[in-house]
Amino acid sequence: MRGMVLGEARKPFTELRRGVAEYCVLAVLRDAESYAFDIVRVLAQAGGLVTSEGTIYPLLARLRRDNLVTTSWRESDAGPPRRYYRLTREGQAALETFVADWTSFRDAVDAVLIGFNEGVA
Amino acid sequence: MDAEALVNDYLGRLDAAAGSLPASRRAELAGEVRQHIEMALTEAGGRDEVTVRNVLDRLGPPDEIVDAERDPDEKPPAWTIPMPGAVAGRSGWGGTEIVAVLLLTVGAVFLPIIGPLLGLIFVWASTQWTPRQKSIATAIVVVLAMLPVILLLGVRAM
Repeated sequence: MRGMVLGEARKPFTELRRGVAEYCVLAVLRDAESYAFDIVRVLAQAGGLVTSEGTIYPLLARLRRDNLVTTSWRESDAGPPRRYYRLTREGQAALETFVADWTSFRDAVDAVLIGFNEGVA
Repeated sequence: MDAEALVNDYLGRLDAAAGSLPASRRAELAGEVRQHIEMALTEAGGRDEVTVRNVLDRLGPPDEIVDAERDPDEKPPAWTIPMPGAVAGRSGWGGTEIVAVLLLTVGAVFLPIIGPLLGLIFVWASTQWTPRQKSIATAIVVVLAMLPVILLLGVRAM
């Protein structure tokens, strides 16, 4: 298989990544609160979901404004206090809706792509 | 460029790119990115030029970060949409409109007939007035120009 890193993908994926990034952040926060630097690390390790780490900050600001996350400042052993993010009830609901939508969307795309591949083969 | 200068240069470019953001958000974003750089450098355990460049590369271009401030669901922010009023506002009189009004009023006194006729040319050249407004101006000029003729004919008929 041709190696393809999402980060190097073409235009449709730039838009797609942008659209799903905020739900990936919500998913990272599903089980435990976290701070921006760590959220970025998790997303980066998941395989190029974030190409420019700095864009996490505008994204988190939007989630705060939309009341999908809430924050609290905590002292840290190393360096200045960190802002921890936690899902709100609305954030949880938004994530659940997205997971359901994404699953059926992914299945639909897969069905068409696999059908197309079989047709070609 | 040494490490400190690289970071300052990056933050300077971020601040410049963030000019369109509300001041409070602009300051907050600068603080968040500054702290991110500090954390990344602490994690990397060094502050040599290569390490700093690597950290800044991972952060991404400053304008890309500022661009992400835009809500993907929304149209481009209001501050990038030209305000319709600024282009064709009711009060947006330019040279054409002023000349037109001068020719129609003062011009009628110093250059009878010719002044107002020239004025009408300027009226129709205006991009500020509607066709309806232009028609009304034309009608008034024509009626006023005809008035002496009508009066003269009236006097003769008596």
